[in-house]
Amino acid sequence: MANKQTSIMILDDEPIVGKRLKPSLEKKGYEVESFTSSKEALERIEERAFDIVVTDLKMEGMDGMQFLTLVKEKYPDTEVIVITGFATMATARESFNKGVFDFLAKPFKLGEIVEVIARAEAKKKKDGKA
Amino acid sequence: MSVIDRIRRLFSGKKKETIPFKILFAEFKKSLELNNQILDLIADANDKLSGDYIFGEQYIQQTCRQLADLVRQLIVTINHLTEQKYAALYISFHKIEEDIETLLQGRVLGQVKDYILPYSMISRALTDSVGGKNAHIAEIGNLLDHRIPDGFAITTEGFNLFLDENNIRDKILSIRRSWHQSEIPVDEASRRIQRAIKEAKVPAKLEMEILAAAEVLSRRHKDITPCFAVRSSALGEDEISSFAGQYLSRLNIPLQEIPQAYKEVLASLYSPEAMEYRLMMDFRPHEIMMAVACQLMIPAKASGVLYTYDPVRPENETMIVNSAWGLGEPIVAGEVPTDHFVLDRSPPYEVREVQIVHKTKTMVQRGCGGTGIDGVHEDQRRESSLTTEQLRELAEIGMRLEKYFKRPQDIEFAIDPQDRVVVLQSRQLRLQQTRAPRACDLHDLEEKYPVLIRGRGIAAMEGIAIGPAWVFSEERDLNDFPMGGILVACHATPQLARVIHKAVGFITDVGSTTGHLATVAREFRVPALFKTENATKVIADGEEITLDTECLTVYKGAVQELQYYAIQEEPIEEMYEYRLLRRVLKKIEPLNLTDPTAENFTPEGCRTYHDLTRFVHEKAVETIIDLNFYHAHHRDTQAGKLLWDFPLDLILIDVGGGIEGSHPNGVRPEQITSVPMRAILDGMSYPGIWDMAPAGVDFSSFMSSLTRTTSVRSTSPEDVGRNLAVVSAEYTNINFRLGYHFTVIDAFVSDNILDNHIYFRFSGGVTETIRRSRRTRLLAKILSHYDFLCELYGDIVIARLKRTNRKRMMKRLFLLGVLVGFTRQLDVEMVSEETIDIFFNKIRTIMEQEHGE
Repeated sequence: MANKQTSIMILDDEPIVGKRLKPSLEKKGYEVESFTSSKEALERIEERAFDIVVTDLKMEGMDGMQFLTLVKEKYPDTEVIVITGFATMATARESFNKGVFDFLAKPFKLGEIVEVIARAEAKKKKDGKA
Repeated sequence: MSVIDRIRRLFSGKKKETIPFKILFAEFKKSLELNNQILDLIADANDKLSGDYIFGEQYIQQTCRQLADLVRQLIVTINHLTEQKYAALYISFHKIEEDIETLLQGRVLGQVKDYILPYSMISRALTDSVGGKNAHIAEIGNLLDHRIPDGFAITTEGFNLFLDENNIRDKILSIRRSWHQSEIPVDEASRRIQRAIKEAKVPAKLEMEILAAAEVLSRRHKDITPCFAVRSSALGEDEISSFAGQYLSRLNIPLQEIPQAYKEVLASLYSPEAMEYRLMMDFRPHEIMMAVACQLMIPAKASGVLYTYDPVRPENETMIVNSAWGLGEPIVAGEVPTDHFVLDRSPPYEVREVQIVHKTKTMVQRGCGGTGIDGVHEDQRRESSLTTEQLRELAEIGMRLEKYFKRPQDIEFAIDPQDRVVVLQSRQLRLQQTRAPRACDLHDLEEKYPVLIRGRGIAAMEGIAIGPAWVFSEERDLNDFPMGGILVACHATPQLARVIHKAVGFITDVGSTTGHLATVAREFRVPALFKTENATKVIADGEEITLDTECLTVYKGAVQELQYYAIQEEPIEEMYEYRLLRRVLKKIEPLNLTDPTAENFTPEGCRTYHDLTRFVHEKAVETIIDLNFYHAHHRDTQAGKLLWDFPLDLILIDVGGGIEGSHPNGVRPEQITSVPMRAILDGMSYPGIWDMAPAGVDFSSFMSSLTRTTSVRSTSPEDVGRNLAVVSAEYTNINFRLGYHFTVIDAFVSDNILDNHIYFRFSGGVTETIRRSRRTRLLAKILSHYDFLCELYGDIVIARLKRTNRKRMMKRLFLLGVLVGFTRQLDVEMVSEETIDIFFNKIRTIMEQEHGE
């Protein structure tokens, strides 16, 4: 189990986010699936668990908040990282209340999200051992 | 307003009710504030092109609208200040805003108005006008100096004219819509659109220009039969190789038939495959445009295709060449058997494998206007269609093109009657994706390869580069920079941009992501790592190195595991969002108005938001001086010109307690009671500051040329000095324009430490960029040393100091005075890097003598 790849789901209706993040994270050794439709992402969540989910908050069709609530209900151990172009204190607070690991405002640097993911991964490993 | 108008107004007796100065000054300060916000936002947006950020359309739209809003406010402000004198700015603004909105809607603005552009005038900057294929081939000829077929582009502007004159744009859109709504199948939609295009007429003026350009070509090449290749060069075609082969090329066309062939090529834009493909790629209707390439045919002895990688087994590190006798069409189409060669990807390009096939048929040119299939002469059937020398030359060309375009290349070539290699076309070669190494292969790189730099520096452009290091020093000639090298330099100075066409990477000790070199590196997608502190010390000249900016690492040697990434597509380039940001920034960032005395320094001359901002800043300062000094003085202010030993045209406006006593003939320095102003003037008048360094024979005239904006005799208020200080007992706001430098100082000094602040902004310069950059760095070094928080944007230095006690504030303002006093001559003096330290030490000596620090 020591060498198991950390799995990451990316959900953002702006396709550029997944397109940019996926290769970069894969290069760092993560297993990555990327979605632009919350419906498809949800179907995938029904099929399997991810260690980390990165999701936008505001999307067409489904509210990101709703999505992350469903993910957290189904897999409490999954760490959720929220990214959004419309960051307000209220949304930030609400997401933290829902147990979100961290919150990033768009546009963000590649390095920033990689760092947040690494922290989420470290936390999971620590929790796993504890 | 002319001078006569002004005089008339002065004597008309209808004296206008003056607006209280407080309000005017508030407007003025607002304009400065907006000015700074706009410039910061522009610098920020430009930074997003580095590839380091992830941003979507939302961000671009938000930024554009925010900028438009600020610029609009700025124009409102200057018109408040000037009683609507610059209403014409609104017109320029709306034009720019409209263009940006057009771009945001996904449309592409052609960069030129010409219908025809000869290859000698084309570079990649014109890709949106001439299409990728034209831009590529023209750059190969113009910049890389390879032999290409002579030709010209028929631009997207020509395409638009074709659609508009024939009135078929709406028709096409409506057929397309029917297909999108599944009312008709794609084949029918394609057939109907293609028919509409083929039945349309090439507009007379377009046809005339096409034929004239072709005529010029034939006259220039009398030695060959004037036959033409008419090829597609659609937008996005070469960026996305899946497009390849979807459009039509018509070969061997006689001059008179070019317009007909042009229509056929245009029609192929709507082949069913292309339509399906664009639907999948989410092309916006207005991105669907076709430029066309019109080239002189090469009567090829042999033709072929070179792949700079084996697309199926890239790990073999080999190149593939397929060739046969005669014209290339059947070879590219795979209709005839071809000779097959496998070569090493590295010099001396050993030929690893040769398969010579039995070639019986060849396509040849039949006079002009036709091709035919001939039998191959008995002797040649089993002969190699390429010589070993030609193979080597091809390999060299292939590697150069790959390094230049940063991607594996698929190159079509011909051997001309003089046995020379001619590049016909070069586009990205898509490799099988399976080769991407995963982290498990990459994690131990540092054990395998010595690390020269690790975790230091900032990425100005993301990417991986492999090549020999070329360490720059002042003694070296940039012309000697080798193709495919990585430039290592102390400073990221703009002059280095000269080697951008040859360099695969940049590494510097010092530099910022917002400087000119960073911008150019992004434009050309050359990975750049700045601010590594010691690159020039740890990297040896000539050694092979690997630069990975994402990991801020430089390895010794060529890291094979990363090679794949070095030439792999950089996904960011293929992102619509990236292209969009780049397009809108062209309407925002460039500064065309640099000289206030130039003819284009008018509202109409403003072509970007940056221009508008620059123009308003100049006029705001001018207006405040004008209103308060040369014209009716405000009741609530006093204004006077500073009487000083030094040639500084400074107008002081006192808004309360800043000047004492009366000053009918000007303000003497000792009359100034404004605390910050006094400190600044003390610094400026420090003995020796104004002539700290020898400045050549005619020092006084040199000085006055810098500080006076016009001769003393001139009386027109528009022409006189632009140096303004608004002062009160505790406050000073200075706007200096000394020669071409701008200095803004805004300072408040009181006993309340929380209210105290200094803002300092310095920009502009009259000398070559490298000295300017030294000066910028010197300023930053000094200011940081004395507690200021410094930011550098290109050659702008911004320094801030807050919450500091009165005594210390005074010392810092004295320092600013010293700096202002002599920086304007620094450019001229800063002849070498050593001067930075020399001047830095001089300043420290002064500060020690004066303030004991």
